[in-house]
Amino acid sequence: MSKALLEIKNLRTYFHMHGYTVRAVDGVDLAVMEGENVGIVGESGCGKSQTAMSIMRLVPDPPGEIVDGEILLKGKNLLKLKEEQMRKIRGNDISMIFQEPMTSLNPVFTIGYQISEGLLLHRDMSKGEALAESVRLLKMVGISDPEERVKEYPFQLSGGLRQRVMIAMAMACEPSVMIADEPTTALDVSIQAQILRLMRQLQESKNTATMFITHDLAVIASFTQRVMVMYAGVVVEMASVGDIFKQPLHPYTQGLLSSIPVLGESKYAEDGSRKTLYTIPGSLPDPKRTIQGCRFTSRCSKVMKKCYEAEPELVFTEKNHQVRCFLYNDQVRSTPSHLDVSSSRKSRSRKKKKGKVRG
Amino acid sequence: MAVRNLKKYFPVKAGPFSGKSLILKAVDGINMDVARGETIGLVGESGCGKTTAGRCILRLYEPEEGRIFLDPQKHAGVISRVEELDSLRLEKQALIDQMQRDLSGPKTLRKELRELTKEVRELRLKANGLAKNTDILSMGREQMSIARRRIQMVFQDPWASLNPMMLVKDLVGEGPKEFGTHKGAALEKWVFELLDKVGLPRAAANRYPHEFSGGQRQRIGIARALSLTPSLIVCDEPVSALDVSIQAQVINLLIELQDDFDLTYIFIAHDLSVVQYVSDRVAVMYLGKMVENAKASQLYKNPRHPYTISLLSSVPVADPEHKAEEIILEGDVPSPVNPPPGCSFHPRCRYAVDMCRKETPELGRDKDGHVISCHNPPNG
Repeated sequence: MSKALLEIKNLRTYFHMHGYTVRAVDGVDLAVMEGENVGIVGESGCGKSQTAMSIMRLVPDPPGEIVDGEILLKGKNLLKLKEEQMRKIRGNDISMIFQEPMTSLNPVFTIGYQISEGLLLHRDMSKGEALAESVRLLKMVGISDPEERVKEYPFQLSGGLRQRVMIAMAMACEPSVMIADEPTTALDVSIQAQILRLMRQLQESKNTATMFITHDLAVIASFTQRVMVMYAGVVVEMASVGDIFKQPLHPYTQGLLSSIPVLGESKYAEDGSRKTLYTIPGSLPDPKRTIQGCRFTSRCSKVMKKCYEAEPELVFTEKNHQVRCFLYNDQVRSTPSHLDVSSSRKSRSRKKKKGKVRG
Repeated sequence: MAVRNLKKYFPVKAGPFSGKSLILKAVDGINMDVARGETIGLVGESGCGKTTAGRCILRLYEPEEGRIFLDPQKHAGVISRVEELDSLRLEKQALIDQMQRDLSGPKTLRKELRELTKEVRELRLKANGLAKNTDILSMGREQMSIARRRIQMVFQDPWASLNPMMLVKDLVGEGPKEFGTHKGAALEKWVFELLDKVGLPRAAANRYPHEFSGGQRQRIGIARALSLTPSLIVCDEPVSALDVSIQAQVINLLIELQDDFDLTYIFIAHDLSVVQYVSDRVAVMYLGKMVENAKASQLYKNPRHPYTISLLSSVPVADPEHKAEEIILEGDVPSPVNPPPGCSFHPRCRYAVDMCRKETPELGRDKDGHVISCHNPPNG
C-alpha cells in the first residue's frame, strides 16, 4: 500500500443542541491514499457531509464541536492548527466542491474574481496573472469563451456551468486532496455525466486524491475505487467498489443496493405479475436519542438479541473488507469513557423527550 | 375510465423587467393517450415542460390551446366533431398568421382578416360548447368541480406542499369536506381508513406535518390525493426529494394503491430508472415536445430517438464493472424562449442531418409501435 495522504482517526463531531447532543459523526476512521478515489455513501443525516466539514474545519462552533479524533494531512494534525494556519491549507492543500452550485458561488462577484481569490491568497500572484490563470482553468474545465466568461456573474451561468466553475475553483491551487460533497446531485443526468467525466479526467491527469460524497450508489460505482458506507454517524462497511457491489456484507448495504430500481427493471415479474421493490422498513433513528447497541437494529432484517446489547466493532473480514456487524464477528465496540453521553457537559439539562411515532 | 389527452399546445408568456413579453413554449404540442389503469411516465431534463404538462392536465395552468378529453370512448362522436372543428380553425388561424405577416396589403385584405378572425372565434366557441362535457379545458364551473374529484395530484416537495398550520386529519379531510362527500363521523372514519391505506398510524391524524419525516409527509400527500377517490393521479416527482431507502417504500405504496383503487397514474420524474420501474408506457420530452413515446420495456431495450439513447446511456449504473459506451450529451438544454430552428435537438444530436436544421420532425409511429419524432433515427 502506498502511504496515506489523509488520515482520519476516530473523528467525533457532536452538535450540542438545547437539551440534547446530536452525535453527527461518531468515531470515523479513514485513510485516503495518494491519487485515490474514495466514495462515502449514506442517506441524509448519516454524517457524511459533517465528516467532510470536519476535515475542512468548517463545522459551525457552537453548536458543533469536534470532540475527539485526529485528522492527519501528510502527518500534520489539522485539528491542532490555529485558524490562520488552517486558512493556508484550505483551498491550497485540500479543497472542496459543494453540493449546490446555485448557492455556493457568491452572486455579487464575477467568476474571474472568485477563482482568482484562492490564487491571490496562496500563490502570490498579481491580479493580472491570477485572472490569466482563471481563464486557463476555465478552459481546462471545458467552458467555451473563457475570456468572456471570467467577466460574468454566477446568475448568467447554467447549473452545469456553475458546477464547472466550482471545480475550476477547487482545482486552482492544485490541491492534493479534493472533497466533493454531492457535486452532481442537483444536476440533470446528461449534465451529471459531463461533470463526472470531467472530474475523472482531471483526477487522472493531476493525480488528486478525491473524497466523493453522495447518496447515489450508481454514481459511486462509476467513479470510485473504495467505498465507505455510513449509517447514523458511524462507518458500517468499507471495501473496494467491486466487493461492495458484488458481495455487500452489512444488512444496510445489502438493503440499499436492492432497494434501488435498476435501469430496465419493471414492476412486472417475468410472468406478468406485480412485484415489489425491496425496502428497508422504517426510517433513520432519531438523532436526539442515543442508541444502545447497533444503530441499525430498528430496521435490520437479521437482527439478533446481541445487537440490542452492544455495538459491534468495525473489523476486517478479509483483505480490505471491513464491516460493523455481529453476523461476521463478535467483537464489541468500546466507547471511551470520557465521551459517554450520560456524563457529557450538556446532559444535565437533558429533558426527557416524548417518543415519536415513526413509520 | 380513461383520459385521452388529445392535443395540447400552449405558450407561456415570460415577461422580464423590460416589459417586453417573450413567448416561452413550455409545452409545445403534446399528444398522448392514457388508458385506464395504466401508468404513463413522463421524463426529461429540467425545463423540458414535464411538470407544466402535468399541471395543465389538472388545469392548474390554463393552456393556450388543446383539449384534454375525459372518457374518450363514451364521447367518441362528440370528440370527432370537435376535432374536425379544431383542425378547420387551426387552418384558418394559420391563414390569419400568414396575412398578418404581410399586413401592408390593401384594405380589402384587412376586412377579410377581420372576418376570418371572427370565424375562428366562432369555431372555437362552437367546439368548446360541444366539448364541455368531456374536455377538461372547456368545462364550466360545475362540470369542472365534478372532474376535479376524478383527477388529483401528488406534489414534489413534501416539505412545501402541506400547510404547516393544519392538522393531518384536516389536511386529508379537506377535499371530502369541501365536496361534501363525507361528513362528521363518516369523515373521521374515512380519514382513518385513508391513513391505514397509506401506512400511517391513526394517531397521526391529530398531529401537524412538521412532526413527520419526508417519507411520512409524502404518505400524507398521497392520502390527500386519494381522499376523493380519483381515477387519475398526476404524480409530480413524488420520490425525488426522498432518500433511497424511503423512495422504495413510497414507490411500493403507489403501486399497491394503484391496484386497490384502480388508479391511473401520470408519473413525472427525472430519474429514468424509477420511471422505467413504475410505468407501462414512457414518454420522453425535450424542450416542450415529445420526442419518443413507447412501452417502458421497449424504450429501455430499444430506444429509437437519439435523445433517449443518450439519456439512457448517461444514467450511471450501480455496477462497477459496467462499461457501457457512454454517449454524453454535450452542452446544455437550449433556452425554450428561443429554441433552435428545425428539430430542437439538432445542436446536440450526433445523427443530425441537413433536414434536421430546417424542418421540425412530426411524431410518427414506427414498426415497433414506438412513436418518435426524428428525421434520421439511428438503428434503422
